[in-house]
This record gives sequence, C-alpha cells and structure tokens, in this order.
Amino acid sequence: MLPYLLKRLALTVPTFFALMFLTFVAIRLVPGDPVEVRTGERGISAERLAEFRHDLGLDQPVWKQFIDYVWRLLHGDFGTSVVTNDKVLHEFLTLFPATVELSLCAMLLAVAIGVPAGAFAAVKRGSWYDQTLMALSVAGFSMPIFWWGLLLIMQVAVKWGLLPVGGRIDPIKYYFEAKTGFMLIDSLMSGQAGAFKDAVRHLILPTIVLGTVPLAIIARMTRSSMLEVLSEDYVRTARAKGLAASRVYGLHALRNALIPVITVIGLSTGGLMAGAVLTETIFSWPGIGKWLIESIGRRDYPALQGGVLLVSAIVIFVNVAVDLLYGVINPRIRHGQ
Amino acid sequence: MYRTNETWGTRATWGAFAILCAGLATASPLAAKTLVYCSEGSPENFTPALNTTGTSFDAARPLFDQLIEFKRGSTELMPGLAESYEVSADGLAITFKLRKNVKFHSGVNGFTPTRDFNAQDVIWSFERQGKPDHPYAKVSGGKYDYYADMKMATLVKNLEAVDDYTVKMTLGEPSAPMLANLAMDFATIQSAEYAAFLSKAGKPEQFDQIPVGTGPFSFVAYQKDAVIRYKKNADYWGEKALVDDLVYAITPDPTARYSKLKAGECHHAIALRPADIKEVGNDPALKLSNQSGLNIAYWAFNTQKKPFDDKRVRQAFNMAIDKAAIIRDIYQGSGQAAKNLIPPTLWGYNDAVPDYPFDPEKAKALLKEAGVTTPLEIDLWYMPVQRPYNPNAKGIAEMMQADLDKIGIKAKLVTYEWGEYRKRAQQGEHTTAQLGWTGDNGDPDNFFFLRGCAAARAGGQNLTKWCNKEYDELLAQAQKLTKQEERAEIYKKMQVIEKEEAPDFKIAHSIVYESMRKEEDGYKQSPLGGHHFKGVDIK
Repeated sequence: MLPYLLKRLALTVPTFFALMFLTFVAIRLVPGDPVEVRTGERGISAERLAEFRHDLGLDQPVWKQFIDYVWRLLHGDFGTSVVTNDKVLHEFLTLFPATVELSLCAMLLAVAIGVPAGAFAAVKRGSWYDQTLMALSVAGFSMPIFWWGLLLIMQVAVKWGLLPVGGRIDPIKYYFEAKTGFMLIDSLMSGQAGAFKDAVRHLILPTIVLGTVPLAIIARMTRSSMLEVLSEDYVRTARAKGLAASRVYGLHALRNALIPVITVIGLSTGGLMAGAVLTETIFSWPGIGKWLIESIGRRDYPALQGGVLLVSAIVIFVNVAVDLLYGVINPRIRHGQ
Repeated sequence: MYRTNETWGTRATWGAFAILCAGLATASPLAAKTLVYCSEGSPENFTPALNTTGTSFDAARPLFDQLIEFKRGSTELMPGLAESYEVSADGLAITFKLRKNVKFHSGVNGFTPTRDFNAQDVIWSFERQGKPDHPYAKVSGGKYDYYADMKMATLVKNLEAVDDYTVKMTLGEPSAPMLANLAMDFATIQSAEYAAFLSKAGKPEQFDQIPVGTGPFSFVAYQKDAVIRYKKNADYWGEKALVDDLVYAITPDPTARYSKLKAGECHHAIALRPADIKEVGNDPALKLSNQSGLNIAYWAFNTQKKPFDDKRVRQAFNMAIDKAAIIRDIYQGSGQAAKNLIPPTLWGYNDAVPDYPFDPEKAKALLKEAGVTTPLEIDLWYMPVQRPYNPNAKGIAEMMQADLDKIGIKAKLVTYEWGEYRKRAQQGEHTTAQLGWTGDNGDPDNFFFLRGCAAARAGGQNLTKWCNKEYDELLAQAQKLTKQEERAEIYKKMQVIEKEEAPDFKIAHSIVYESMRKEEDGYKQSPLGGHHFKGVDIK
C-alpha cells in the first residue's frame, strides 16, 4: 500500500509542473494585463505604465517571471493578489470552505439518491421505473446549470418564498464571526437560535443545482455497473442458495458494482469545481469558483495561478484517495500486492 | 397506477417539493432599520485613493467624508469636513476652515481616537498619495490613479496646516475644477492617528482593510465576496443615518439581484437586466428611479487620417447615421440621443446647438463636394465589452455599417481585446472608433478636455486627434475662471465650435435605473453614479 501511495504521489509532481506552466502561459497569452484592465477609458501615461509593470515584475522576460514564480512557490509563497494586495493563499483559504461545504453537500445528495436509485433501476430493469429514471438522468446530465438554478430561484424562492434566493445566511437576522468558514459548523457554534436552520435553508437550492449533474451520472453508472454484476455467476449462486434478495443485491452485488461508481465520484470532483463557478455566481455563494472567474477578468495573475494550482491539487488528491478506496470496497484489490 | 398527464405530473412534483421545503420555511420579515443593498461586487479595499472602481468607492462611502462634498442627488458642491473655503483673488490659493468636533469612529480594530479630526488628517491623506517618502505611500500597493489622473501632483504646489483647523492649498496655476476634484472619492480624509496606531502595532496593511473614518456609518465586518456590514455612527457630525445597520449583500449576478429584491432579501439593487427593470416597474412592491448617466458614447473620426481631415466628410458621416434607430433598438429605453459631449443635466450644456439631421442624400452630396469617391473603405472599431454608456457597441457598429453602405461607404468592423483596444485607439491606429466617457466629478471640464489638444497626442484620450486652436484656448480659459456663469458661457461657445467641426458622431447618454423596495424611503440617485445611503430610511 505505502509504495503504491508514494508512487502515485510522485506521479503528481510532473502533473503539477505541467499545470503550473500551462496556467502561467495561458493567462499571459490572453491580451491585456492587470495594469491595462485597471485603467479604463482614462488611459495611463507611458511612465506610469512602466512603473506599474516594474512593480508587478511584468517588465521581466516571461521565462524569468516563471522561474521566480516557481522559486517562490517552492518556498510556499503563492504570491499576492494584484487587485486586493492580499496573500493568494489567505484569500483561497478564506473562500475555500464555502466551496467545500457546497460541493460536499452536492456530492452527498448525488450519492445518497443516485446509488440506490441506480441500483433499484438495475434490479427492476425494463420496468417503468427504470425507464423513467434513465430518462430523468439524461435530462439531469444535460441540464444547463444556469437555467436550472434560475428556474429554482424563480419558482421556489421568489414565487413561493419557501427558501432564500442566495447567500449563505440571512444577514439581517444573524451575524457571527466565521471561525471555520463552514457555515453549518459556524452557525451551530454561534449559539444563535435558528442560525443553523437558516444555513441549511440557504444550502438547499445550490446543493440541488450543483448536485444534479453528478446525481445523473452516478445513477446511470450504478445502474450499468449493477446490471453487469447481476449477470455474474456468483450472484446466481447466491440466489440459488436461497439468500434473501436484499442480501444478494445489497451485500454481494452492490458492493462490487460500486467500484466504477467510486471512480466516477472521484472524477466528478473536477466537474463539481467547474459547476461551482456557475452555481456560486447564481446563488451569490462566496466560494473560489466566483473568485477565479473575477481573477480572469481582472488579469489577477497571482490569484489565478495560485487558485488553479490549488484546485488542481485538490482534484488530483481526491482521485488518489479514490484509488485507495478501491481496496476498502473490494478486498481483492490491494494496491501494491 | 400512475398518471401520464405531464402538467399534472409537473405540478405534483413542484407540490411535493413545496411541502418538503415548507418544513424548513420560516416567516422572514425584514428586521426593522436594517437596510440591505444588493451590491454588484467586492471592493478591492476600503481606501478610495487606491481604487478606481465604483464598487470599491461605494463600499467606502458610508465610512468617510471629503473636505467638500456633492449634495445628495446632484453635482452641486457643498461643505463637507471643511465648513467653509475661500479661493484667493488670483485663484492660486484655497484656504479651508475645518469643521470642529468631528469624531473618527471608535472601537474599530481596537482603535480609540484620542483627538478629533483636524488639519493633520487632511495633510496626511493627501501626502500619502503625493509624497513617495510618506510612511504609507507604498502600503497596499501604493497606486494612486485618480490623484495622478486629476493631475494633483502638478496642480498642488503646497499643502500646509496654518493651524489645527485651517489648511491652505497653494496651486501652481488657477484651476476651477479643483473644488470638484476635492469632492471626489480619492480625496477622502482618513485618520492619521489610526495610521500611526497600526504602524506601531506592525500592521499597516490593515489600514485599508479595516477602515476608520468620520462617516455616517462605521465599519463592522467584511466577509470576502459575501457581506459588508456597517452600523450607524451615533457621533456623526452631520445628518445622522436613519437606519441602525447597513448591509451590502454582494450579489454579482444581475438576475440574482433582481430575485433577491423581489423576494425581500434586499431593499436596493442596481444594474439589473433591462427585462427585469420592466418587471420592477410593474411590481407594486417595488419602485424605480432613473437619472441621466453622467456619460457619453461617441464614435470618433481620426482627423489625422484621410478623408477625416476634411470637416465636410465628418459632417457627412454625422448625417448618414440614423441615431434614433440606435437609441430605439440598442438602448431600448435606457439611453437618450446625444448632441453635445456633456449630458443635458450638467451645467454649461448648450441646448441651442442643433444636432445634424439624418439625411443620407445630403451626406452623399457633402462627400461628393469633399472629393470623396465611393465606394470608400473605412474601418469601424467597436469595443468588445459592454460599458455603462454603451450596452452593445457591436450592435451599434452593425447598424452604422448598414447606414454607411447606403451612401457608398464600406465599413469593416474591427475589435480587439478591451485593454488592447483602448491602447491602440489612443495611439490613433483607427480610422473611426467607438468609445465613451464617464464623468468623474460633475465638472464640464472633465468632459471637454476629451477634445483638447493635450489629449490629442499619441496615447491621449482624444480619439479624434482633433486639435482646434480656438477650442483649446477656450478650454484653458475656462479652467482659470472661478465664476460658474462665466465658465458656462465659454463651454457653450465650445460646443458650437465642436458641433461645426464634427470630430465625432455623438451617440447617446445612458439612462441609469436603480430599483428598490417600496419601503425604502429618501433615496436620492446620484448623477455621478455612486450610491449613498445616508438619509435613507425603511418605512
């Protein structure tokens, strides 16, 4: 296990370098720089432009800028935002809990509904339930997040007034210091009556919106994987032995069917981050998705480079963790053996 | 058994969802005296001198004052932290008598002021921007764009504290717009004592993040990208805030802002989509206010390139475009046709200047008279982005292209990335280019300089590169006068000259809408585009 883990981690190093290089180059290929974006119609004199560029290190050759950047990064310095002058790592850590909270809830929703629904559809293959579920999953998978989010806001929040439109908590009723950045935890710790319930209410719609696509994928994947497993000899044997259906499906079949599903969950982390960009914008959710989009618009090179690298690191590590989970799910798979 | 009726099914699904949510629903009446403003973005920091965006200025406004202020809802100047000011006869000195008993906010970031606002704070605030050796000059990046753009470094020769409550500003040359400059956000007065307190604590960067000012609200907290909280400053020297708490709920998506306003999650929202603005007008719980934007959208002809060096050609182009159609189809109710550089709400506007009529036949004749042979190919640049004064530059360019085609002009549409676009256009690489301007301080000079000779240099903001001696002399003359009526007369003459010379085609001034709930009371929309919640109440 340990050698496998080390090998996997070692493989991430070139991936990081490639990412670092690509992000660095890609943002510089986009015309305009942080100084030009800042000046607007008023323009800027050549002297001030030169001074600004010098202060930001943009007057150096690009290769030198890259080497400086990597050097600082190796020392744990992600740089300083050229817009807010705050440390990139600090900004990231301030906003990241909101994205994690939302993504975890969305994934939880997707797994909690997607796995049993997909498994049940496989067991009832060809039934109306199976067909409806598959039709719904196609709809869910192709759902444009922006449209879906706005539809829910208009219907549930504005028309019926059942849930809030956006934000993480009602700013009029509740105010407390963010201790962990996770609103569910902070609201509980605040001791303010009703704060936790309000935080949950704010989470429902964005969770549904962000969770829809992974839910559809997980349901489909569980179904197809389950169908494959159900045709295996050992399932037939288990049935022939007279085991209860719940035991056959739940213990023998589903456990084995989950392996590809877990891979999908790992891969969906990247999708969740991409979905978070839109979901956070629609629901005024102060997370990193929204922050990265703004950084592109402002050509905030350090924020963008640092942000992309940190998000990539998380996606990579989640996938490594998923690989390791295989062994837990299926004892026959033991890495490094 | 199941029903296949789709409508029934959809309703049933929504119904089930509603029941599910109802368990979590709570009655949420808005708490008394908390005003929530759905702002469109996060501030860069809370020191206006460092910033250039309206979003950041808006975030700092409840907290600070300037020596001179704009009267709420107008461009008229009135005393702020300076209770009076006197301009010397030669226009070279302005003496400010400062207001006494003005308190800086107490208790923010562990800071308790030991003295009232005085001349030290004024000197400190300006010297931070103008003196490179000032202890705070380099804090938070140390870029003071507006101070540089308004030419403060060259205009202000000296700033001295005559006594604790008198400040004398000596100018290098008379400058009538200076007073309006001092009412701008960059001229905000901050606490020298708070700066010293933070320096001593080794945390100078907090100066711009955890602000202390003299304004009607004091700072409570900023949760990045989420919420800014302020509370009423009970010790405020002027008209006290009418609400206890002010909350900026940061909501970047315009549809989300509209939804929040409609659902009662905020009282005030700006920059909604045109379709949503119409809905606001129809909703009995909401109301709208509108104001001519202090801006201009124009289409500049590069007068240093043929055939635009001939004024007859420029006049012909003015007659070839159907401006009314642009206003109708592109602005859709959020713009008014422009004939002068300044909007009609600004003093000095010359309404007697007639605009060029839409007359393609006369345009053709003028082109012929100027010796232009058609078909003629030109390039027509349009901005790649939406601007406050121009919702769709490409749409306008396409309409212009169609109109020009009718008089034998083949216009090639050109655009670049936004930063690149401005840079190239300011260098004068274009033949014709759209752009615009948003006024900073409500002084006409802040618009008319756009056609001055100084701005016509390569890299300058005068995209027409037109340099007219008479116009330029009048511009300089008006800058030196202090009486508004005299200046207005000069500006009126300049508008006549400029209309005759036609260095550009003036498209529109935008109309800016702001939306609010009916219970919000007392809001006055600023023609300068800022948002102020002093004097606003919740009924």
